[in-house]
Amino acid sequence: MKKIASIIALTLAATGAFAQYSGNYTFGGSTTVAPIAYPAIEQFQKDNPGVKISYEAVGSGAGLKALLAGQFSLSGSSAEYDAAALKGAVATPIALDGLSVIINKKDTGIKNISMADLAKIYHGDITNWKQVGGKDKPIVVVNRDESSGTYASFWELVCQKPFGKAVAYTRNAIVTKENGEVAIKVLSTPGSIGYVGMAFAQEVIKAGGLELAIDKVMPTTANIVARKYPIARSLFLITRSAPVQGSVEKAFIDFVLSPRGQSIVKSADYIPLPVK
Amino acid sequence: MKRRKLFESAAETMLFASAFLSIVAVLFITIFLFRSGMPLFRKVSVFEFLFSSRWEPTAATPGYGILSFIVGSFLVTGLALFIAVPVGLAVGIYMAELSGRKSSKIIRSSVELLAGIPSVVYGLFGIVIISSVSRTLFGGSGYSVISAAIILAIMTMPTIINVAEVSIRSLPKELKEGSLALGATHWQTIIRVLVPAARSGIIAGVILGMGRAIGETLAVLMVGGNAPIMPTKLNGMVRTLTMNIITDMSYATGDHLTSLFATGIVLFLFILVLNLTVQLALKKSITEMEGGAGA
Repeated sequence: MKKIASIIALTLAATGAFAQYSGNYTFGGSTTVAPIAYPAIEQFQKDNPGVKISYEAVGSGAGLKALLAGQFSLSGSSAEYDAAALKGAVATPIALDGLSVIINKKDTGIKNISMADLAKIYHGDITNWKQVGGKDKPIVVVNRDESSGTYASFWELVCQKPFGKAVAYTRNAIVTKENGEVAIKVLSTPGSIGYVGMAFAQEVIKAGGLELAIDKVMPTTANIVARKYPIARSLFLITRSAPVQGSVEKAFIDFVLSPRGQSIVKSADYIPLPVK
Repeated sequence: MKRRKLFESAAETMLFASAFLSIVAVLFITIFLFRSGMPLFRKVSVFEFLFSSRWEPTAATPGYGILSFIVGSFLVTGLALFIAVPVGLAVGIYMAELSGRKSSKIIRSSVELLAGIPSVVYGLFGIVIISSVSRTLFGGSGYSVISAAIILAIMTMPTIINVAEVSIRSLPKELKEGSLALGATHWQTIIRVLVPAARSGIIAGVILGMGRAIGETLAVLMVGGNAPIMPTKLNGMVRTLTMNIITDMSYATGDHLTSLFATGIVLFLFILVLNLTVQLALKKSITEMEGGAGA
């Protein structure tokens, strides 16, 4: 019995996880942040067994509203709000979200595409590569399914400006369930186009796919950090005021920014913040 | 003596319990499916659900029409059977009547192997080989009705082959001997006597295969294209009932989720009808056989 107790104590000491925080907390907000928030919360709760946190994926806007109304003590956001919208709340960037547009090398014949043309392809207005300066071959559009945060991000970042907020992708598109499935379908189908999380694009290139430049800017971490590449944005955690030392919220943000948290960011297919 | 009796009754009870458990499982699944799916029809009429092809469950004014998926399921299944039945029947006849013992053994084990391959492997094979072959032969993107049908044809073939072989083999010997004695050739005997005599069993095999094809999800998901549109061309994309359930299941909530259970009910009813048909066909084949033997 003594032995077991000492083992438990040792393990706790080793993970540095003496239960210093406790209580129930409700976080919520962006669905794009959710794939980071869920595993991060799970890990955080393991480190702090007294803490129970829930994350409600209601969207960035609704999340901020609930935060300001006091329903959430922390909200996730994939939108960047200005000071007027934040009303004193503080947004801490935790990750970058960049999407790469990939094509099959056969039957396409382009290396660069404009944002406007890309939006038209996914809205269904452009259906032949000839219309964007490529070969006279039909475009095979590969899309994600609605459950994917990437599906919503891509619409927001690419198509929302010309075609409005309500998602209206062309229905004549192959629907896939995973980044990997997009990759395999684009790689095996001549004339096809798809989009994947930036981290994933490297795999596609290795396997013989092509990553497009958007308005002549390639999706590199440097270009995203410098805000040159257009299909990218930062992800934030927002607190009502500057995070207070000793609060669970501050501890959680610190956890997400720690190497362990950033590796969660990476495994959720987002880009960890550049190390300063 | 007493111990033997005790053992016997214990074994009996256990077997009964197992049988009972499987019935209870079916019952509970049915109740669960209907309870989860039926509430949809308070908001959407059955007619609209079955005969509208507007599937936009997350739009501002949601549409829950699954006609495209019903058509998709039947189109893919029908086409698959169109390919699998002639081939499967031919193999079944060959194994029952024409092949030697050794070759029959080899064919049987390879057919059994075919039946044992997991559907995800069929799907991968489909993405890499079938979609590109069908793109070259039939045009389009390769993710299409025809690709899905080819995969399903390969997957349903073992069922059709097995049942066709068994039902021809189990025919009374006198049928074949009588036909040959009357001067018919072996080929005439097969086509005019054996196959017609075994037809109920063969039909049962085809319907069993059809059930497998309608219910198959993963393999068709990987090659069908999965666009929620009405399939209009054989080389165009398709989404079946099963594909619709699996695609939306991960994120659906509220009415959307209920509509997926309702899709499940439709699938369930189709399979139920198919199974009843199989049972009728088999029953008929048994009475035919008994009648034949009595005459």
